Amino acid sequence: MIIAEQKPLDEIKSMIADYQKVLILGCGTCVTICFAGGEKEVGALASALRMATRLDGQNKEFIEATVQRQCEYEFNEEVADLIEEADVVLSLACGIGVQTMNEQFPNKLTLPGLNTAFLGQPVEQGVWDERCQACGDCVLYLTGGICPIARCSKSLLNGPCGGSQNGKCEVNPEIDCAWQLIYDRLQALDRLDLMMEVKPAKDWSTSRDGGPRKIVREDLRLTFVEEKQS
Amino acid sequence: MKHDEPPPVISPAEEASPPCQVACPLHTDVRGYVAAIARGDFEEGYAIAREPNPLIYVCSHVCAHPCEEECRRNQVDEPVSIAALKRFVAERHDLSLGHGPSKPAVEPKNQRVAIIGAGPAGLTAAYDLARMGYPVTIFEALPEPGGMLRVGLPKYRLPREIIDIDIKGILEAGVELKTNVRIGQDLTISELKAQGYEAIFIGIGAQQSRTLRIEGMDLDGVLLGVDFLRDVNQGKPVKLGKKVLVIGGGNVAVDVARSAVRVGNLGDEREVHMICLECREEMPAHEWEIIEAQREGIVLHPSLGPNRILGRDGKVVGLETIVCESVFDSEGRFNPSFVCNTESVIEGDTVILAIGQASDLSFIHPEDGIELTPRRTIKVDPDTLATTAPGIFAGGEVISGPGSVVGSMALGRRAAISIDAYLRGENLAKLRFAEPQKLGELPQKTVEKIKPLIREPMPLLPLEERAFNYREVELGYTPAMAMRAAHRCLTCGGGAYVDTGKCAACLTCVRVCPYDVPVIKDGAAFIDPTQCQACGVCASECPAKAITMKLYSEDQLYQEIEALFATAPASNPEPFIVGFCCLYCAYAGDEWAESVRAQLPPNVRTLDVFCTSRIDIQHLLRAFELGADGVFVAGCVGEECRHTDKAVNRIQGKVQFVKEVLNQVGLGGDRLALYNIPSAEWGTVPRIAQEMAERVRTLGTNPL
Ligand SMILES: Cc1cc2nc3c(=O)[nH]c(=O)nc-3n(C[C@H](O)[C@H](O)[C@H](O)COP(=O)(O)OP(=O)(O)OC[C@H]3O[C@@H](n4cnc5c(N)ncnc54)[C@H](O)[C@@H]3O)c2cc1C
Ligand code: SF4
Ligand code: SF4
Ligand code: SF4
Repeated sequence: MIIAEQKPLDEIKSMIADYQKVLILGCGTCVTICFAGGEKEVGALASALRMATRLDGQNKEFIEATVQRQCEYEFNEEVADLIEEADVVLSLACGIGVQTMNEQFPNKLTLPGLNTAFLGQPVEQGVWDERCQACGDCVLYLTGGICPIARCSKSLLNGPCGGSQNGKCEVNPEIDCAWQLIYDRLQALDRLDLMMEVKPAKDWSTSRDGGPRKIVREDLRLTFVEEKQS
Repeated sequence: MKHDEPPPVISPAEEASPPCQVACPLHTDVRGYVAAIARGDFEEGYAIAREPNPLIYVCSHVCAHPCEEECRRNQVDEPVSIAALKRFVAERHDLSLGHGPSKPAVEPKNQRVAIIGAGPAGLTAAYDLARMGYPVTIFEALPEPGGMLRVGLPKYRLPREIIDIDIKGILEAGVELKTNVRIGQDLTISELKAQGYEAIFIGIGAQQSRTLRIEGMDLDGVLLGVDFLRDVNQGKPVKLGKKVLVIGGGNVAVDVARSAVRVGNLGDEREVHMICLECREEMPAHEWEIIEAQREGIVLHPSLGPNRILGRDGKVVGLETIVCESVFDSEGRFNPSFVCNTESVIEGDTVILAIGQASDLSFIHPEDGIELTPRRTIKVDPDTLATTAPGIFAGGEVISGPGSVVGSMALGRRAAISIDAYLRGENLAKLRFAEPQKLGELPQKTVEKIKPLIREPMPLLPLEERAFNYREVELGYTPAMAMRAAHRCLTCGGGAYVDTGKCAACLTCVRVCPYDVPVIKDGAAFIDPTQCQACGVCASECPAKAITMKLYSEDQLYQEIEALFATAPASNPEPFIVGFCCLYCAYAGDEWAESVRAQLPPNVRTLDVFCTSRIDIQHLLRAFELGADGVFVAGCVGEECRHTDKAVNRIQGKVQFVKEVLNQVGLGGDRLALYNIPSAEWGTVPRIAQEMAERVRTLGTNPL
């Protein structure tokens, strides 16, 4: 799921500096689960901002709301009144939610209250790790289920590199070397043969390198008309 | 069943109710009043306990408390001291605030109702009907109201001013009382009808002693239990010898025996013995009554049947007994069997029979159309309590046989609901009463995680001061004792509830619960109320705010925070400090309740919470937003936590988070502190508050 964290309070303060009435809008899905932008966080941020802005001698008003999924028009529509009422929206959704809001309510500016960080796994309560980079061409079948794109600092397809030290990455000793993990896992599975295969250069056009991506399922579209087989 | 005015208390609950509440015939919200006491809100506790119970003072002294038998704490250690807690709130209640809930705004009705008998059943029926707006008159044979409360129960268990308090409240609700009117003698049922009473309630109880058909019953020195008690209670002279033999093993027999100990203040000069069919373990009297009787020197002779009363010159000289080997037959019917040739004699000059009571139904005439049962009680529809005569209802011991105060009251209440329906022309056949659903037992895995807590002992009058007077033996709790006793309640069913529409299935609750209660079911969290221990950790951690605590919700804590600021000293040069204190720790000793709190200066205000795990980050932030100069959270040291150190860990995390926010806001995280205080050291809280104030002074006042 999408992992995000709140922006520093000062940055948020400066973003909303010119606005009087701010709607803080949370999202009930990924960012709730990662404690960044659910109803609880909306309340805490509102409280912090009320205090911080009052200390700055301002008298701003903060409205609080949370929708189920901010990346969908229908859910946002439910709080259209509040959006209307506010001078600006401070979204605690991921970047997708922020953009949905800006698109859906063109007359209202929606600001990002979070930094959308990565696609990750909640590995334990309070700890999230990056796991996927959405490269668009999954290689996990070659690597024992451990992603070298997301988890190797250099996204090497034929690792490890010489910087692998005692299982750690030279970029940061806190980071596990993904290729060490892949090696250990393949060994355990008795599939080290997969390590021996040299992976050719990856086609990155399915990733960001091919420009913004889009998936269309014609069959699901409500405008879908069955094409006559010719 | 729907009523537009005073809601009937006997009503089906949408959710399973705690077993204490289900066991109480009046379905008193025990959990609610115990929780109020736990928080030190004694008037609130009184209001909740009084709500269904117009005889709360009486019950607080003598209720047989079936609630305690059902209390789920029994599965862990001993039941919550529910009865003692009720007594505590009743005793502390300020009667100038009124007896009970104010009368609901109802339209006065003009159909008059007659109530026969001013015992618990009649009084309750009258009170309820008066509150529904009916003009109600009670006709009572004796000079004073109360029934067995006044003429049966001994004064050392139920001081008479206690009865008077409740009766006053009942009469104030608009009930008319006519004493010294015996129906059947001074007035008949047909005369009542002729006088315009459109409905009649019969609550005459079971006021006659049952007798035995054995030799010697006519001897001088043979007394009937209930008559003896009535005479003692009415201050009439009773002739009692020096060696009294009480026949019977029930509660009434114990009362008779213990009263006999006290009559005439003879001290050791009088011996009192109790003889009963049942073996010691099966004696029907409450165990605590029997123990008290033994403490007062009463000698028990279990497993003996009375064979004949021996006399000389027309006077009792002893009782011949025979060994009883079983009381009930294989089908559970009362059918004692005796062992041949086991006759023996217990010497004595007085024999008192306390083997049961029956109703005097001689006032009922065939033309009244009221049928009786073969057991010589009045026949009623078990749901509506309607007798076979239209408009005439009956309740209390006249239909149940010997029972309890609260059981008789519940029957009075049920009859009142039926009478109202009858007078409004409803079809009685359709009136059905549903019993509330009972919350299940604690699963064994939960029992194992619950910490046992000592049941707060009741201080008693020292033995040497009690035997020969009519003073009450139980002295009652102090506030600190009451709170500790209340803290043992498991708040059954009053814990966490999930709004599945909001739940994001984040698993937080599943992970943080010290009792492993929440699970994800059908895509959302599910919290089984039979397991939840109402610690509140999950509710304060849920990022979706999908969990609400049923009793004492998060919102209530917000309101209390706001209220605290509403009464804050206006201009005080001292820093304003707010302390969130764990109730369980703070009141573990006597100090906090009795002295420490009072020592806190006016600039320090504390809020008691059920475990610090109930506090969430927004509560802490709110206190600063409202202008607190400093906030401290006082909780336990891990191993003392009522729940587990999981709860302790969570408050540490929350305090850390809020400190960081305060730093970012510019107020400074040092304004917030967490103290883990061993329960024996809560006397240090004023010093902690002082420390806090010093620290905050260097940071300056909260400019908000
Ligand atoms: C010695 C003793 C001790 C007890 N201890 C306890 C205890 O500790 N806890 C507990 O819960 N229960 C106790 N009980 C039981 C409890 O007292 C009864 O269950 C309860 O009082 C029954 O209520 P009632 O209204 O049905 O009848 P009663 O209390 O018997 O009241 C009936 C009333 O009707 C009046 N009456 C009778 N005939 C007529 C008539 N013809 N016309 C007008 N008025 C009439 C009577 O004078 C009496 O006032 C005890 C009972 C006894 C005898
Ligand atoms: S623990 Fe409390 S709520 Fe549960 S049964 Fe006992 S008194 Fe009632
Ligand atoms: S903590 Fe809240 S959102 Fe998470 S699973 Fe439990 S109820 Fe659902
Ligand atoms: S965390 Fe506490 S309140 Fe929540 S389910 Fe568990 S026992 Fe109940």
